[in-house]
Amino acid sequence: MAKPKPSLSPALAALSKSIREATLPNGLKVRLLPSSAVPTISYYTFFKVGSRNERPGITGISHLFEHMMFNGAKKYGPGEFDKVLESAGGSSNAYTSNDLTVYHQDFMAEALPTVIDLESDRMRSLAVAPKLLESERQVVLEERRLRVDNDQLGLMDEELGALMFKAHAYRWPVIGWQRDIEAITREDCLRYFRTFYAPNNATLYVAGDFEPGDALARIKKAYSGIKPGPAAPPVLDAEPTQRGERRAEVRYPAQAPAVMVSWRAPRSTERDTLVLDVLQFILSAGQSSRLTKALIFEQEVAVSCGVDFSWRLDPAAFTVTLELKPGGDAAAAERALTAQLDAVVSQGVTDREVEKATNNLAASMLRELATNNGRAHSLGNWEAMLGDWRTGLNLADAYRSVTRQQVQQAAAQYLRPELRNVVTLVPTQSAEVAA
Amino acid sequence: MRAQRAATGAALRPFPGPSRQQVRLKNGLTVHLSPRGPLPLIALRFVVRAGSALDPQGREGLADFTARLMRRGAGGLSADALNEATDFVGASISAGVGEDLFVVSLQTPTRHFDQMLELFAKVLTAPDFAQKELELARRRTLAQLANALDDPSALADRALVHQLYAGHPYGHETYGGARSLERFERAELQAFHQGRVGPGIGHLFVVGDVEPDAVVKKLEGALGGWRGGPDNEPVPLPLGPLQNAGTVLLVDKPDQTQAQVRIAGPGLRRGHPDHHALQVMNSSLGGGFTSRLVREIRVKRGLSYGASSYFEMLQAGGSFQFSSFTKTATVPQLIALALGEVARMKAKGPTELEVETARRYLAGLYPARLETNEAIAQGLTDVVLFGLGDRWIPTFRDRVMAVTRKEAARVAAQWLPDAGLVMVVVGNAKALEAPLARYGKVTVVQPSLLA
Repeated sequence: MAKPKPSLSPALAALSKSIREATLPNGLKVRLLPSSAVPTISYYTFFKVGSRNERPGITGISHLFEHMMFNGAKKYGPGEFDKVLESAGGSSNAYTSNDLTVYHQDFMAEALPTVIDLESDRMRSLAVAPKLLESERQVVLEERRLRVDNDQLGLMDEELGALMFKAHAYRWPVIGWQRDIEAITREDCLRYFRTFYAPNNATLYVAGDFEPGDALARIKKAYSGIKPGPAAPPVLDAEPTQRGERRAEVRYPAQAPAVMVSWRAPRSTERDTLVLDVLQFILSAGQSSRLTKALIFEQEVAVSCGVDFSWRLDPAAFTVTLELKPGGDAAAAERALTAQLDAVVSQGVTDREVEKATNNLAASMLRELATNNGRAHSLGNWEAMLGDWRTGLNLADAYRSVTRQQVQQAAAQYLRPELRNVVTLVPTQSAEVAA
Repeated sequence: MRAQRAATGAALRPFPGPSRQQVRLKNGLTVHLSPRGPLPLIALRFVVRAGSALDPQGREGLADFTARLMRRGAGGLSADALNEATDFVGASISAGVGEDLFVVSLQTPTRHFDQMLELFAKVLTAPDFAQKELELARRRTLAQLANALDDPSALADRALVHQLYAGHPYGHETYGGARSLERFERAELQAFHQGRVGPGIGHLFVVGDVEPDAVVKKLEGALGGWRGGPDNEPVPLPLGPLQNAGTVLLVDKPDQTQAQVRIAGPGLRRGHPDHHALQVMNSSLGGGFTSRLVREIRVKRGLSYGASSYFEMLQAGGSFQFSSFTKTATVPQLIALALGEVARMKAKGPTELEVETARRYLAGLYPARLETNEAIAQGLTDVVLFGLGDRWIPTFRDRVMAVTRKEAARVAAQWLPDAGLVMVVVGNAKALEAPLARYGKVTVVQPSLLA
């Protein structure tokens, strides 16, 4: 195990030192984070598969499959996963992103053997019962109606992905296109399971009140018999260079307009990702951030303003979302945003702004590490997105090395007006388009 | 499966819960200290009984609007200066209200505590309520309220508050409505702050990386000179019978392909002796993922992505609430299923196996609800302000584990509603009005009525 850098704070150094790592012969990676603060445990399984690994025709299969993982395997049949877990004092959930599918359980410490049994059972021998696939498909379609079809920002976000990406799988929404969700077959699901749910494509993170030697022995016993799969097929990033501004509209009944402006951004492992994290915070974290202060409190061209720069495995997006007041002028809001970004490019940011952003990035990281769930999730996510959890624990230092010149340069390089992608919500009175 | 449970059937590992040491500052402010590590973080939470239920009539939203303005300038510092100072060190100060309580809180890294305490004290004791900030907050809040009409789920929740608690101060949203927002004046915010928020009946929870004696000295320095506020606890009006029992409010959203459904009935106040048995019973009905409502609505039939029931327990009373959503065509089926499950639970209670599952589910996850400084400050707030007592947290798991099937069945029979329900549906009125008529008098309204 690498020694933690001496600059880690005492709390992080202690965390780093406590972590026990192992890789089973079948390729399953295991990370144990013992802590006796409360008598509970968080158990995370990270699979390196998401909508990025899909193709047209089966979009949404990663997410639909995530639902199917709760619908029965060989030892624990349909409905038993949650029954057994809840009766052992735990609860479970999962999420799918563009890059990852993540399963987690929180439970009373005594239930660890039960959870290991449940999780290894479905990794070994998931069943996809036809009747349950049909019912789960309906659940997912309701989820789509909730998050996309009846939600303006969901509709805009879906439009934005398809506008920005021409060839890469980031083009479609994680939940998938409705017709694809309706058409995915049981055979598609089984093939998907064999390809991506092998132990060599997974990492376990277990955080909480357990004895690491005992836990590792139990994990080895439960998972070792699961056969490794072939390496997952590589994802080709065939995205062509963007050569000009792209625009789209969403017309939908709404009280007020909204604007999303987005640019292509680097992949998570590139150095510029950290620089853009700092820029994101300078622009939108806290009431004193540039966009919040200028657009909401001084100019009042927006009622809310957010910047989303989520790390992704392939080059992704840096997105600003502005929600306006009823009767607001979307073009004026967009001009005000452009002026703010121009100022960053032409005049740069201050040392104090960079320091403020790094202080906040460090503080929010520390808060995430306050719970078993937060520790297991943060470190697992760092390993998946950055390659190593150690890189994550040292992020505070890495952010502190970012200079204001680098922030200015990144803004100039990535947030060029001629390369933006803009989606505008145009409010309509009734069902003139939706029908 | 039974072997699985036997393996975990031993006594629960100890969970003593957070410590609480109580001291009083010279001005009467009650301070509750709960030092803990290992992270270098501190949380402060000031709480006083001045929630939205005490808003004067015609001035609904006054407490909330006051809270919104607390950190927009205080003690000689402008909003910008305050924001810059807290943001710079990665700290945050916020103020907000619920139905019963008015809360101002601080989160800060330990090494900036002294400076942040000074700012926290300014925000809490000397907010400016500058006219310019007031107008700005008014414009922004009005716009946010209008925009929120586009969120079907939030709209259903808002409509339910009005319908369910009509005639009681709980029957307005904490932030009031457009009509009262348009009228708030600076003098009444000042009067609210001086009259309702003060050390006499206030409580300050201090959780995290602190040394008790040293921190009390600092608090005495920063807050000891604060005067004002009430001397006696205000008492909220008791919650009477539901005025809108047996009615259906249908909020028309003709473009929606999915409808939001809320069904509610009378409930009980916070800290009622039936609390633990009720939680166990409701966990089987609509709490966890294996509950009856989730099983019948989501798992078996794929009618929705989510379905749940819960008891909202406030100081003066409470309610039972069911919440779900489904495509327009299956709304009648969803409502029939939900009412059927509530009736079945009321008649017979949960099974032995369900009770056993619910007990371990609730007891097992309880410690994870008290892991952060902020969660502990909130948990101790409930203990102190709702009179739950210091044994509440350390004995919670044991009391849940002691609930029997018989008790769970009794509280189901006693507290689950069977008639006199209040229903709210947000969706396509043209398609839904006729099928909803069997559940009571249907009133169709436009979303703008809730602005």
